Amino acid sequence: MLTKLMESGNKKIADMAINTNFRSFRFRNDRIFFQQSSLHEKTILGLISKDSGKDIMQMEVYDCRQKTDFINATLLWDTKTNQKLTSVAGKNVIKGGKASWDFYWKLFGRNSIDNKGMLIKQYVHFDKGMDNAYWDGRRMVYGDGDGTVFTSFTSDIDVIGHELTHGVTENEANLDYENQAGALNESFSDIFGIMIKQRFNNQDVKKSNWLIGEKVMIGPKYALRSLKAPGTAYINHPELGSDPQPATMDKYQSLPDTESGDFGGVHINSGIPNFAFYVTAFNIGGYAWEKAGRIWYAVLSDASLAQNANFADVKNLTIVHAEKTFGINSLEVKAVKQGWSEAKV
Amino acid sequence: MKIKLIRTGGFIPITKEVETEVNLTDKEMDRLLQVIQRDPVSPRIKDGSYYELTVGSSSTPVDLEKVPDEYKAIFSKLKSDLKIVK
Repeated sequence: MLTKLMESGNKKIADMAINTNFRSFRFRNDRIFFQQSSLHEKTILGLISKDSGKDIMQMEVYDCRQKTDFINATLLWDTKTNQKLTSVAGKNVIKGGKASWDFYWKLFGRNSIDNKGMLIKQYVHFDKGMDNAYWDGRRMVYGDGDGTVFTSFTSDIDVIGHELTHGVTENEANLDYENQAGALNESFSDIFGIMIKQRFNNQDVKKSNWLIGEKVMIGPKYALRSLKAPGTAYINHPELGSDPQPATMDKYQSLPDTESGDFGGVHINSGIPNFAFYVTAFNIGGYAWEKAGRIWYAVLSDASLAQNANFADVKNLTIVHAEKTFGINSLEVKAVKQGWSEAKV
Repeated sequence: MKIKLIRTGGFIPITKEVETEVNLTDKEMDRLLQVIQRDPVSPRIKDGSYYELTVGSSSTPVDLEKVPDEYKAIFSKLKSDLKIVK
């Protein structure tokens, strides 16, 4: 019928039919594309609304009772039974775990650590006075701190978001944990950790102080890291001295790829990409997760991000994704370029 | 003999160490080190911390989870006495 109308001698009818056919063709193809696209692709294209998620988070929280074995840890809480809790550390990790899961699901349509609904396992009160938190490939583990320099590593949402993001990274590019790739691995964890905290506290780029672990580190002048001003999270601390993070590439620290060398300074040189993100987000303005976060997530989940990526690779990919999402001459692209330029990458 | 336990790594990389005298023969120490030495190709834990035991002039990466029961008290005390290297 439409074919006949397109061949009509009446120019007006033929034009209308051709337009209708064109629109139908595009509609059909769009529908096929969107049927086949992943939740992540739909989110990047802005097709998933922030409120469309449903609660499918699965989490278990265990108490290690200051021991170092996971097998005999006691189940404190799980999503199925939602037990009442008295443990502060337990409450902290439930709050942080929920905020992290919600962040990835609502903003990026990512279903948990592996994007397949992975059970989030968190272990609190690990070891006696352990001043650390870590991701071991299966679970997040938190110590109570030594009580002098550090308090419980569950005290800050950004630390919990940081550890969960190590799991996300492991399921995406699985960045090598050494040298620049390792520093990027750490940086993605800091960047998503701070955004998870900012979103939980409804803080925009101006309201946030961009500090990671400000409650974990004892003393009002101290935090574990600063994305706004790497190298200033703690200065002349009586036990730790001063924060060793550089903010710019000319201050990059070449350290040995050993345990004592922090595997080439993964927690030190992460200050550089952290600062690039801060400058980008600040120049874009508003909430960091809305635009800058969207660009960085697109990079983190980009199949072309190599396991041994360096800072320049991530710089290039952030520009590519900013151009794709916001347009070549957009303010966002300029902000990304400015961010990396200020970090001297 | 004098031994030194060193801890490195973590969310912010800090080094902690402690030194003590232990009443062990060379043979006992060799046997202990064989039991507790860490696999050199074990995967890197994100934000993990690591222990190393120095005896004389040689250092061995160790896994304190492997410490036999009869030495647990020594290592428990060593861990609690670790001090940040400034």
